[in-house]
Amino acid sequence: MPIWLTFAILALVFWGITGVTQKLATNRITSERSFLWFCWAMVALSAVVLLFHHAGWKLATPVLIAAIAGGALNGLGAWTSFRALESGGKASIVISLISLYPLLTVVLAVTFLHEHLTLTQTAGALTAIAAAILISLEG
Amino acid sequence: MPQPEIVPADQPASRRPLWLLWSIATILLWGVWGLVSKIASDGVDAYTNQLLYTLGILPLLLFVGLHLRKRPDSRPNQRRGIFWAFLTGILGGVGNLAFFQALVKGGAASIVAPVTALFPMVTVLLALIFLRERLGRRQWAGLALAFVAIYLLSI
Repeated sequence: MPIWLTFAILALVFWGITGVTQKLATNRITSERSFLWFCWAMVALSAVVLLFHHAGWKLATPVLIAAIAGGALNGLGAWTSFRALESGGKASIVISLISLYPLLTVVLAVTFLHEHLTLTQTAGALTAIAAAILISLEG
Repeated sequence: MPQPEIVPADQPASRRPLWLLWSIATILLWGVWGLVSKIASDGVDAYTNQLLYTLGILPLLLFVGLHLRKRPDSRPNQRRGIFWAFLTGILGGVGNLAFFQALVKGGAASIVAPVTALFPMVTVLLALIFLRERLGRRQWAGLALAFVAIYLLSI
């Protein structure tokens, strides 16, 4: 198994656990308050990273902009997903619809980064998206 | 539990429901996030990427924090809720580090994004084991497909 796939699976395991802890949080506090403390935890984690990791700050401007934009886009996405659920969307429909987001990443990465997928990888990526949609559907 | 949106009778039938617009906005934001994360990962290590990611999230933290100051919540058990939310952030951050590392180590955004988007498979498995929630047929089918997807991407 390639090393990048090991890290990708590690990410999905950690993010998967957050699905449970998030539910335990929003059973007791609002999604907005939960999001606020989620962000504070990110700040705390970054403080620890800053203590132990020597960050190289001589970065190319596009890289710097992309990394900072990443945080803003991901955070805003979490916020809009809460808004979708609070605006009357059925959870199973909203979450399965949102599960389509990797499809956009695939299109953008192939178009702008000229990434090339083999037939097996294309089948794997599409199967993964279909799986994520099915998992988010109840019943 | 979210309630279905009640559309007034005088509203045009073609008007898109608000939840659909918010959902599309989420797809756009998260979809582009996958792309910019790959662009960033080509020039920065996973730890520095996480630091810069946090910088990007700060304005939102400020906005939500100020907004919530006007809306105090008097529900009981808040401390426990805050604990779980904080833990969610720590686990999410560690997940981010692994996600960035996958991209730094040569993973294509077009593959890493669909793989990591399979994270609900872990959530439903944990809910099945620890919260004793039941899974429907479609969720079982989704889990099976998730394993097929990981196999296809690992060969």
